[in-house]
Amino acid sequence: MKGTVTLILVSIFSLHCVMSQIVNKESLSARETYYKINATLDPEAKTIIGEMEAYWVNKSTDVVPDIQLHLYMNAFKSNKSTFSKGSSLSMVDKKSDFGWIDLKSFEDEKGNNLMNHFSYISPDDNNPDDQTVIRVMPFEPAKPGDTVFIKIKFETKLPKGRARTGFADDFFYVAQWFPKFGVYESAGMRYAVKGGWNCHQFHRNSEFYSNHSVYDVKITVPEEYITGSGGMLISEENKGDGKNKTLIYRAEDICDFAWTAWPGYDVYNDEWRHVKITLLIPHIRKEQVERQFRAVKNALEYLSENVGPFPWPHLTFVDPPTKGAFAGGMEYTTIFTSTSADRMPESLHLPEMVTVHEFGHGYFMGILASNEFEEPWLDEGVNSFWEERIMDHYWGENSGIIDHPLFKMSDKSMSRISYLLSLGRQVTTNREYSWNYPHGTYSMMSYNKAATILYTLMGIIGEDTMNEIFREYYRQWAFRHPSGKDFIAVVNEVVKKVHGDKYGPDMNWFFDQTLYGTGLVDYRVSRYTNSKIRDFKGIISEADSQRFVPSVTKDDSVYKSVVELDRLGEITLPLDVMIHFNNGDTIMETWDGRERFKDFNYSGTSQIDWVKIDPEYKLRMDVNFTNNSKTDKTDMVPVRRYINKFIIFTQYFLNIISL
Amino acid sequence: MKILSHLKSGALRSVKSWKGILIIWFLIFVMIGILAASAKSGLKSMIGSSMITELLRDTVNADVLTDLKEGLSVLIASVTKGFILLILFTFIANAFFSGGLFNILSKKCSRKSLSCFLSGGASNFWSVLVINLIVSLIFIAVASIIGGILALIVSKSGGGNPEPGAMSKAIRFSIIIVALLLPVLLLVADYARAWLIGNDSKKPFSAIGAGFVMTFKKFVLSYLVMIILIIIQAGFGVLVVSKLMGSKPSTGGGVFLLFLISQILFIIRLFLRTWRYGSVTSLLEETQTTAVSQGQSEPVAEPLSDQV
Repeated sequence: MKGTVTLILVSIFSLHCVMSQIVNKESLSARETYYKINATLDPEAKTIIGEMEAYWVNKSTDVVPDIQLHLYMNAFKSNKSTFSKGSSLSMVDKKSDFGWIDLKSFEDEKGNNLMNHFSYISPDDNNPDDQTVIRVMPFEPAKPGDTVFIKIKFETKLPKGRARTGFADDFFYVAQWFPKFGVYESAGMRYAVKGGWNCHQFHRNSEFYSNHSVYDVKITVPEEYITGSGGMLISEENKGDGKNKTLIYRAEDICDFAWTAWPGYDVYNDEWRHVKITLLIPHIRKEQVERQFRAVKNALEYLSENVGPFPWPHLTFVDPPTKGAFAGGMEYTTIFTSTSADRMPESLHLPEMVTVHEFGHGYFMGILASNEFEEPWLDEGVNSFWEERIMDHYWGENSGIIDHPLFKMSDKSMSRISYLLSLGRQVTTNREYSWNYPHGTYSMMSYNKAATILYTLMGIIGEDTMNEIFREYYRQWAFRHPSGKDFIAVVNEVVKKVHGDKYGPDMNWFFDQTLYGTGLVDYRVSRYTNSKIRDFKGIISEADSQRFVPSVTKDDSVYKSVVELDRLGEITLPLDVMIHFNNGDTIMETWDGRERFKDFNYSGTSQIDWVKIDPEYKLRMDVNFTNNSKTDKTDMVPVRRYINKFIIFTQYFLNIISL
Repeated sequence: MKILSHLKSGALRSVKSWKGILIIWFLIFVMIGILAASAKSGLKSMIGSSMITELLRDTVNADVLTDLKEGLSVLIASVTKGFILLILFTFIANAFFSGGLFNILSKKCSRKSLSCFLSGGASNFWSVLVINLIVSLIFIAVASIIGGILALIVSKSGGGNPEPGAMSKAIRFSIIIVALLLPVLLLVADYARAWLIGNDSKKPFSAIGAGFVMTFKKFVLSYLVMIILIIIQAGFGVLVVSKLMGSKPSTGGGVFLLFLISQILFIIRLFLRTWRYGSVTSLLEETQTTAVSQGQSEPVAEPLSDQV
């Protein structure tokens, strides 16, 4: 009887929690999971004492015998964890610098003790020393529609700052700190052929794949601490003991909950349309506040217009102090961290770039919750593509990342350069799981190559079509879990709708070569020639004699002009070829780029004076822009100018160092 | 008023030494020109008949640099080596140049002829080289010690956790201290070289000793003269370099004009340096004259350790 009453109460509680709306007017996601956490920070012991009530709703048609939870703080428990093995960081030696999570009690909805009902599992690498995932066997399997309720008391010991979580003296960035459900994938979802938990261990390069959830989190910290979180602040109360205060946060439809606490933060508030923005930043960086707000507002504007609305009315972002630099550059949808330094030249847009990037993850992972473990390109690569577009749009097409009179660099160039300069650019494809990229190619493949691929795609199909693809991707997959094939299906659908069969029945040929292939793009103008077409000159045999016909020189000579193009790379892409004649005429040709070579022939009174493949440099995967054009009159003025400046610099430098 | 008279004397001497200055400019230009010409040829061969230079019109383009990476890395490596050799060679050549200049600036060289410059440079080469070397080493040591001490203090402050921004403050503070000490070391070097020439000495250590003594004997006057000259030189240098480096001529004629202007300005820069030498020479000569008229024997310098 007691159990039944408890069950009814829990069900009512669950229903109330999941249905109630505080942050948004309507639920944005399916809300399979819910968390209510009461956490107390002990700054001296670097621990968080927590109590958590949470549940998972079985929305599949499967009878599920188990549940799986992440215990990611155990990644920092020893040097044998999968994270530590895959990390170039050596583990620290002091006990106080390690991190872990201890489950003090574990009960189900009836109060049954589950402490002996769970075991550590390592689905990715069978590492017996890894304790970042547990499999729990409840007393009863979850039938379709059932809610599995759990109540856990835990103690999280934060590590000395690493991998964007932990502490540095009195600075705390608290992420991956509570037991969190994996994602139950029923058959047909993403790549699942049968129902099962998708709950990866904690790896060096990936941490995100979770359900959109509601979080009610109560955080108790010493009074002098300034806090920020991914939730909306509902209330703040002092304990009355003059020591501690408690903050109550509510977050809806986000994939993970992180928070920070540090007495040294300055708090700034601003608004963009419906979004209240909070910035936590060290006092010494107050001059960068405007830069940071400008960056986040630009990102909000650009992504809202070109992808879809930012649905939350609150957003917090953090510029961690120098000692907390480990926390920089991390995304938790409605709280993210930027990266900067106490002094940051205006010409270097690093803080803006990180802010735009991490905010962008609110879309690519936060709203479009792809699996970062299995398809990091869909998270980091897509987000980098948008980051680059935003940076170059607002900070200058050629100066998105550096804008100095002597040197400018666009953000998209930085990505292309990282791809081109990588020795491993042809080692593997983007099919790999995040921890399987060989030869240190994870970052290049997931961020840089993927972004360059998307830029190249945009170069082929056009910016408007690309934006429409992402709008459609948002419409179809917001607050769900899309996979790479789902994204490509949207690309195929939109390209077909806009361009018909111009690029074939689908765009799979593009992704098969670029994303899932190892080839390179390299087209070259081999040469062009202009040869005079002469009138007949020679011997004509007549009835019984031969007649010599001399050539006649005419002013209006006709030329045969030939352009010879080569494909040096393995990847074939359609491209434009611009041919310019000395009478000012310009012809734009298109080439499907499939053959190894292509000739264009012309005849007329004018001669070719230059040829350009891909004249707007839209095929950014092309590994060599230098061989994309040819002319007889190379403009060497820029080179002479740089050499002149080299002379000036060297003269003054030598003059200065001489006594 | 004394400051002005020494500055005026230095300026006049500097202008009269124009032949020596032009020789210095020409030799430096030839040395740098050899390196620049090879760099230009390398770039030309890499670019070939491509139109990629259109991306370089506004500024250095990272995409182009990446595409030229193989040739460029070889070019950068060779230019870097050439640059290091150039620094070394200039340091040595500067011993000749400054020896020649101090000779032509001194009152014993009344005709300010080219032979005076060349003979001064040749006869005092080794002594001036030693003076330049030692004063440079003193400067490096002083800067390192000041920077090191401040960095150590900051890193140990707050129990090993310095306040945010403390290190950048320490760096700025050490730069200010070094900047304040720089005129002293330049005075030592200039007085030493002027003393060497003026006394027909070949003893660099004695000259350095004399340099220190002279510097502190009329410290306020000498320091003020040096500070004024350094500010003028630095201001000129910063202004010229920032304007020239920021200019973007887009035609061949514009680039050539920029080249001409930059070389004229560099010659003026050499005049400014010579002005400094001339002013210190004037200061030294006045001190020596005063000492002789007051019946003192040699002006100041106690030999230090030439025998060591």
